[in-house]
Amino acid sequence: MTAVAGAPAATTAQRGTHRSTKPRRRGKSPVLTLIMLVMFGYAVLPLFWLLANSSKTSADLFSTFGLWFGGDFHLFANIADTLSYNNGIFLRWFGNTVLYSVVGAGGAALLATIGGYALAKYDFPGRKLLFAVVLGAISIPGTALAVPTYLLFSQIGLVDTPWAVLIPSLCSPFGLYLMRVYAADAVPDSILESARIDGAGEFRIFRTIALRLLAPGFVTVLLFSLVATWNNYFLPLIVLNTPDWFPLTVGLNQWNAQANSGTSGAVDATYSLILTGSLLSIVPLIIAFLVLQRFWQSGLATGSVKQ
Amino acid sequence: MRTLPSRRGVMTAGVATALSLALAACGGGSGGGATTAPAAAPSASAAVQDALSKPAELTFWTWVTGIEKTVARFQAKYPNIKVNVVNAGQSADQYTKLQTAIKAGSGAPDVAQIEYFALPQFALSKQVVNLAEHGSDALKDKFAPAAWGQVAINGGVYGIPQDTGPMAMFYRKDIFEKLKIEPPKTWAEFIEAAKKIKADNADNFITSIDPGDAGGVDSLIWQAGGAPFRTSGENQVSVTLATDPGVKQFVSTWGTLLGEKLVDPQPGWTDEWWKGMGSGKYAVWMTGAWAPNGIINSIPQTKGKWAVAPMPQYDAAKPMNAENGGSSVAVIPQSKNIPAAVAFAQWLNSDPEAVKSLNEEAGLFPATKTLLDDQAFRDAPQEFFGGQKINQVLGDASAAVKADWQYLPFQVYANSIFKDTVGQAIDGGGDLAGALKTWQDRISAFGTEQGFTLSSG
Repeated sequence: MTAVAGAPAATTAQRGTHRSTKPRRRGKSPVLTLIMLVMFGYAVLPLFWLLANSSKTSADLFSTFGLWFGGDFHLFANIADTLSYNNGIFLRWFGNTVLYSVVGAGGAALLATIGGYALAKYDFPGRKLLFAVVLGAISIPGTALAVPTYLLFSQIGLVDTPWAVLIPSLCSPFGLYLMRVYAADAVPDSILESARIDGAGEFRIFRTIALRLLAPGFVTVLLFSLVATWNNYFLPLIVLNTPDWFPLTVGLNQWNAQANSGTSGAVDATYSLILTGSLLSIVPLIIAFLVLQRFWQSGLATGSVKQ
Repeated sequence: MRTLPSRRGVMTAGVATALSLALAACGGGSGGGATTAPAAAPSASAAVQDALSKPAELTFWTWVTGIEKTVARFQAKYPNIKVNVVNAGQSADQYTKLQTAIKAGSGAPDVAQIEYFALPQFALSKQVVNLAEHGSDALKDKFAPAAWGQVAINGGVYGIPQDTGPMAMFYRKDIFEKLKIEPPKTWAEFIEAAKKIKADNADNFITSIDPGDAGGVDSLIWQAGGAPFRTSGENQVSVTLATDPGVKQFVSTWGTLLGEKLVDPQPGWTDEWWKGMGSGKYAVWMTGAWAPNGIINSIPQTKGKWAVAPMPQYDAAKPMNAENGGSSVAVIPQSKNIPAAVAFAQWLNSDPEAVKSLNEEAGLFPATKTLLDDQAFRDAPQEFFGGQKINQVLGDASAAVKADWQYLPFQVYANSIFKDTVGQAIDGGGDLAGALKTWQDRISAFGTEQGFTLSSG
């Protein structure tokens, strides 16, 4: 059950990859179709499980078949319970996650775009070294940095504040690397040169020309960062203590830990709340993916220029 | 508290590892906290009493749902002290945070809940206050000896016992009656009962055993009279998983049960496991006295089908029992108001009003003799259990606990590698003795790296 929160990310990410890499073929291949169907089932089954079980009462949860709906359809009552449990803390967590994701991922994508563009298009001393450092940074998992990050933030008094989650989320070495590679091809030097001849300042060139050419890359990085911050668990777990600042991942896991040790007191049955909460928590990510993916695909064409 | 050390999902497995890393970083050092003033004449406990009437603000980390009600009672009685209750995460999650905050020198609470199995590592690295220096040792007689034994570490007192989990056998009355089996009084009878259940339906088991749950196996060894972990002095640790007589009894019983596939190696608290508990696939759950809430909340449809009995015995003439789970409340040296923190921890867990509230409003199984021996507590019928007075069984189970069990000063790490060693053997129905030896070797290797002097057998 704990894996539920992690599963949707893999699901959505996989779907994205398929979409972008699937070769557009004319004829139909039964083998490929079968493989696709299996993959589709693999991706969708956990989601279906989540949906089916979110609609059950606590009593049905452990007494009816897992991959189908229970006796009564209890989804809306479960949603109401989830939203109101513990003075509506779920909504607060939801808001926190949105804040961390929008500000964190948006900021990370923007910074990565600016940085990647600069690395790709400007020649300055130390450029190669800087790029090597970025490459190295990719290989350090965020989890390993969580404890040092805590110590650092503790020194400047930012522990247990939203900043402790937001600031690290703004750094995305992988996004920077991606944008550096993407900008090298997507922004032709000739356009920059002609813009300079026309008298445009560097920032204006970036804002009006480069940013548009980089839009598909930007959206890609945004999606990656969005998924990463939405599902971020370990960093907020370490740096936040007050449940009021928890994101959904940490909050839902707290509920799960509670249910798994019978510590939810004498009256609360939290399993159905966890399931419903997990379901609600992946909805925005799915919407973001569907909406942003369109920009991503249409953007691929706008980057081309006749050289 | 009522958690078993490994009762957690995918996410916390990583956390446990990270915690051991954090621990490794700490290296058992002093943790940089303020040291408590040497007990200045008789004033230590007087200072604690005085603190109750002075203004103070305390932060209390706990994950017990419903404990706010008990804390509210404290505030009503001592309005000068403001207590902020923070749920900073459960068990290993909270320990990770606590140790990071202690190491960072700021951000730790004044008072924190710490399970018995994790307390020694906080105590030996001086990350919690020695409450004996503040007069808390005077409370000793109020608590069940087994509970006090868990907080009295290395000559000091490092927490106030909050709740306990004496082991008991929760069983499906309906299944036992249908198959005309008496609840087993000895482990030999238990194996016979297991065979009958298996013979009736090959898909059913007398019980399950969680391959990831070190705490569960520790409890079974403890109940067999074992004492495989010993710490003496600051850094002498002995691990005798290969030679301890209690471990051998555990291996013989559970090796048979696993070898003949009479028990199901199945992680607890999962969807599948709860389904098995609800459907009658498992007839018995041997666990701590905190279990009823879990059953009532998770499988309400089994109302009236459960009963509770004492644990099966190796020697029925000398009944012996163990704890599973349970936790204490400790004071963190970083606190700016240690006397008030000590006063709060003492009141919360020993005042009769508080203890009653913890039991009734937060659902904790008591650690104090006052409540364990209270007639009203013992005679309260439990409706879900068909009106059985379960507290009589559980109270007796508490009295029978063998009090000399010790956990390792790095039990959190040891538990994190349980699944890869003993868990493998449980899963494969294989060589328990060999796996326990492997566990011992890895525990010893880690302990040596941490600067402990290990002896093993």
